[in-house]
Amino acid sequence: MVRLTSVDELISFRRRVQEVKSARPARPTLVLCAGTGGQASGSNDIMRVIKRHILEHNLQDKIQLRITGCQGFCEMDPFIVVEPGQHLYPRLKMEDVPRVINSALGGYVEEDLLYREPHATVKYHCQSDIPFFKSQTRTILGSNQQLDPIRIENYFDQGGYAALEKVLSKIDPAWIVAEVKASGLRGRGGAGFLTGMKWQLARAAGNGGGRKYIVCNCDEGDPGAYMDRSLLEGNPHAIIEGMIIGAIAIGASRGIVYVRSEYPLAIKHTTIALRQAHDYGLLGENILGTSISFDIEIVRGAGAFVCGEETALIRSVMGYRGEPRQRPPYPIEKGIDGCPTCINNVETFANVPVIIRDGAAEYVKVGVPGNSGTKIFSLVGKIRNTGLVEVPLGIKIRQVVHEIGGGAPGRAKVKAVQTGGPSGGCIPASMFDLPIDFDSLVQAGSIMGSGGMIVMDEDTCMVDVARYFMNFLKDESCGKCFTCRKGTQRMWEILDDVSKGKATLAQLKLLQELAEVVKDTSMCGLGQTASNPVLSTLRYFRKEYERHIVHKRCDAFVCNDLVGAPCQSACPLGTEAWRYVAHIGRGEYQEAYQAIREANPFPSVCARVCNHPCEERCRAGATGGDPVAIRALKRFITDNIDPMSFKPVRHTSAPPGSPPVAVIGSGPAGLSAAHYLSLRGYKVTVYEQDAEPGGMMFSAIPGYRLPREVMRKEIASLLDENVTLVCNSTLGRDITLDSLFEKGYGAIFVALGAHKSLRLGLDGEDAKGVIPSISFLKAHNQRGEQLARGRVAVVGGGNSAVDAARTAKRQPGVESVTIYYRRTLKEMPAFAEEVEAAEQEGVSIKTLTAPTRILTKDGSITGIELIKNSLGEVDASGRRRPVPIPGTEYSVPVDTLIVAISEGSDTDCIAVAGVNRIEVTAGGTVKIDSDTLLTNRAGVFAGGDVVTGPNTVVDAIAAGKRAAVMIDRYLRREVLAQPEQLRRPSVYVEPLAPEPEAAEPARRVELPRLPTCERLSGFVEVEKAFTLEQAAREARRCLRCDLAFTKPAPQPEETTVHAGGAQ
Amino acid sequence: MINIKINGLPVSVEKGTTLLEAARFLGFPIPTLCHMEGLTPYGACRLCVVEIGQGAKARLVSSCTYPAEEGAVVRTASNRVVRARKMILELLLASCPQSKIIQDLASAHEVRQQRFRQEHEDCILCGLCVRMCKEQMAAGAIGFTARGDHRRITTPFDISSEVCRLCGGCIYVCPACQLRCTYTEPDKAICGGCANLSPPCLEKEGFDDMMCFMSPCVACEIKKD
Repeated sequence: MVRLTSVDELISFRRRVQEVKSARPARPTLVLCAGTGGQASGSNDIMRVIKRHILEHNLQDKIQLRITGCQGFCEMDPFIVVEPGQHLYPRLKMEDVPRVINSALGGYVEEDLLYREPHATVKYHCQSDIPFFKSQTRTILGSNQQLDPIRIENYFDQGGYAALEKVLSKIDPAWIVAEVKASGLRGRGGAGFLTGMKWQLARAAGNGGGRKYIVCNCDEGDPGAYMDRSLLEGNPHAIIEGMIIGAIAIGASRGIVYVRSEYPLAIKHTTIALRQAHDYGLLGENILGTSISFDIEIVRGAGAFVCGEETALIRSVMGYRGEPRQRPPYPIEKGIDGCPTCINNVETFANVPVIIRDGAAEYVKVGVPGNSGTKIFSLVGKIRNTGLVEVPLGIKIRQVVHEIGGGAPGRAKVKAVQTGGPSGGCIPASMFDLPIDFDSLVQAGSIMGSGGMIVMDEDTCMVDVARYFMNFLKDESCGKCFTCRKGTQRMWEILDDVSKGKATLAQLKLLQELAEVVKDTSMCGLGQTASNPVLSTLRYFRKEYERHIVHKRCDAFVCNDLVGAPCQSACPLGTEAWRYVAHIGRGEYQEAYQAIREANPFPSVCARVCNHPCEERCRAGATGGDPVAIRALKRFITDNIDPMSFKPVRHTSAPPGSPPVAVIGSGPAGLSAAHYLSLRGYKVTVYEQDAEPGGMMFSAIPGYRLPREVMRKEIASLLDENVTLVCNSTLGRDITLDSLFEKGYGAIFVALGAHKSLRLGLDGEDAKGVIPSISFLKAHNQRGEQLARGRVAVVGGGNSAVDAARTAKRQPGVESVTIYYRRTLKEMPAFAEEVEAAEQEGVSIKTLTAPTRILTKDGSITGIELIKNSLGEVDASGRRRPVPIPGTEYSVPVDTLIVAISEGSDTDCIAVAGVNRIEVTAGGTVKIDSDTLLTNRAGVFAGGDVVTGPNTVVDAIAAGKRAAVMIDRYLRREVLAQPEQLRRPSVYVEPLAPEPEAAEPARRVELPRLPTCERLSGFVEVEKAFTLEQAAREARRCLRCDLAFTKPAPQPEETTVHAGGAQ
Repeated sequence: MINIKINGLPVSVEKGTTLLEAARFLGFPIPTLCHMEGLTPYGACRLCVVEIGQGAKARLVSSCTYPAEEGAVVRTASNRVVRARKMILELLLASCPQSKIIQDLASAHEVRQQRFRQEHEDCILCGLCVRMCKEQMAAGAIGFTARGDHRRITTPFDISSEVCRLCGGCIYVCPACQLRCTYTEPDKAICGGCANLSPPCLEKEGFDDMMCFMSPCVACEIKKD
């Protein structure tokens, strides 16, 4: 170890280090990421395996191992980068390590271990090609990969302390300050004060001698932010160099690194680095033989969040409670022990050597004016690539979230990002074009903070987010200011009430008022920004708050008290799925049918065609397991219990002499409304335009999914003495709204369905052989006509496209069926099991393809021209927009083209001009009040597909059920919109004794299906029902979320018995 | 001398004068709970906020801790200040409804309701007693402990203090429990120490829940005999 005594010695020493290195033969290097994150993911094990392998095989001279700090790609930890070539092997297992070592030695690539994006097949050979790294500018963080933090030689080798050389060779503090000022560097701790300006003030402060301090603030306490830790762990010498330069600039003689005790690795590496710097003469008395003396010590914070605030930090360094005080006087004038103290963030110091070494002019080239340089963000939350990213300031949020972060990991779309930690704010996805810089974020109601970036998707409840952060802040507030201490506590109380469905809209107003006052009147930064989570979520997500308060719903299924049992909550009908599943487990099938039928007049239909939102939300499937097969269990019950055995309970609420009600449309919405109105004692007439009731259920759903006799039986069970069915009666032709009112009907429920296929908008769409999907399905389902022949093409990706394709496949004279969809399979709106079944049956699916022309000859279709798409930017729906690739057009011969891009309603019949015109939307659907289902005309209600566009059966039933309630209220002249009730489990069904714990978690029982060979011969139902054993086994998998609400409290005497027994 | 303007009135004050002192010198009333002459300003109760600065840079600061700066423009009763004060008083009422001082202040500021969940706390953590004990009595027997909503005043390690001289200074300065300590008429108070008509120290084992740090309580000891 040499103590360097002059700048020249430092230069020659560095040259020697570099010469020694280049004199060695080139060896491949394994770079292992071993920051705190890497170690938590097991990089220590990988390290041990590598070392053992090297020793056992005597590879010391052939391969090199570099253990670095955090490289930022924490999602893929533990990973190894092999140099040269930069091959990145992510999520390595110990057994794969020898393969990686051998490939590095042999100079080849282990293809199957290489990085690839989830669900993608493209492999990335080079680290810099990986999207996560490609879009970053890793000026600061990049060094972490190049050096071992406990070897100062590595830092020298990378040009370390060159900035110090430059500074010491002229010793001109004013020049340093001017250079930093010219660079426009803003404090990376969050507030964004100009570092050069701060240093200038610090330099001027306390002139006339006396001590000055320079402090590196590494009290990083934000949940989800760890860039400061990674810098201190991965490159401590850069921070030390920055601090020495800062000390020279402001004339400080003592430096302090304030780091929280929770960062042991950072403390360890910094301690080692400080000792090395001392030994080399870079710190201490007379640095490098100059007259400058400067030393740095580490002060460990006890972990209070508020100690990141500079005045609190100073008190903490002095040994007092970490409590902020009033500024002015600023620390620059009066800091530690009353001496001028300059406090900068870790990342700020890390930027200083770069600025001095390359010059401010070079530095400002990165970033945007007023916000120069790069900023490190820690990207966490609902994001595919968790990790540290370094990007130039001014980059759009969208780029960081979608390009670098890879978007949301699951099906739920990204909804917002939270920047700046607990005291930051949420920025909604609609504002993702916002540039990330200090000023724009403040304008949007958030802050830069230290750079935490928490991504939230639609399964994140914003009320819960605000509540979580407020809980953090109420614990971390020092408590000195009354408004911060009580304000955060009271805000948390209100947020907690909202999340439990106990709050009122008046409380929401109070919350806003309080948040503004807390922001205004608190003393320090913590209190002044503590309201941000509340204010920004209120600003952008007020609807979610109102849903919680008014509708008692948490749409993200997070707030437990509102959700109750997720299956029940997810069901538009509020079916107590947990209840019938529990009854099935106990073998009580009649009770199970009761639970199903009470909520749903079409249990057999729904048991076959429901899109089962209950299963999507089932907690058994939430963390990678399989959800309980609720729909299949329902099928098991409905197949075994006769619908006629159920006698619905009648609560006659209709006042005597009530007028009858007319329902137009006999689909699920219309018949449900009629049924529930009948139960309330109203006379109902149902008008149907077709010859048979059933609506969209009958005309659009093929028989292999929903056998006709099942549907007919169920419809028949609903037509009681109060309900009259009138078929072959079309609105606008046989009846009108006016004529119905004239006939004496008191209210009308319009549930026409969506019977009109939308057009492609291409020439030749009226040619022979081009059929709208609804016409095709109707022709088949109602009249048995078989319109498809030859080569069939279906355009679209929804359920009606898949239904049409599978129906066509079953028709004689059809050679092949192909579905063309413009996005990818992942984005397809059709149910996944339907798509899977279609593929099994031989329907081919071409994705990322859209038609551009219909080729015709003599008025008949001969083929279609298609174009290939690629996925572009994420659009408003959260899906990536399909973008046609010019020049990829190609034609295919086609005999039948079925257009199934979407359906609309034929609303012309009700939207007739005049005073009584019913308003429709631009999309051709009827406009209603979503709470009361009332149209703009008194007494006319609407629901089902005619309001929503093509939608699920269960939503239509829910609309019908709701319409019955509303029409009842209307006819009894009550207020239509009434407060919603909480839908929580209320009946206690005793759970079965637990089975002995199995080694493996029970998998979902697969639903039996008809073999493919038997399917195509006709329209026999494809899905089969569970057997009794299968049903019982599946039902036992239920986690019984309901018990949290229904389980009776244990009896006190029981507990005493147990206590006595235990003794 | 430093020249500032308070509510439009120019005034020259010495360097180091706080905005509160300057405003009171001019006769502008500013309510305070944690401020007392002779004790260092603390800035905990936030009642004394005033508005300084202009336009977008206007902000609220606690006048008891903010030093007068040359050219400062101060408003002691702007809408923003009044709105903040009313909310602070509402919060205080929600926590310490039994304090006469707080009731009077709330009434004077026309706070007619409190919309939070009602609490019954004894202490607003203004810190007067802590400063009194340390600065005027030179004892330093009590101080703050814990953070956030767990923050409270106690002796070190919650054991009775050896440096406490039972002077009662802490009770004397307390703004929140004044009614309890002195009853409505100070000379009729039964117990000068901790509580009023039925001193809780007679009924309870310890002193944990009380605003009294005297152990043993002189007054209560007398009463017991």
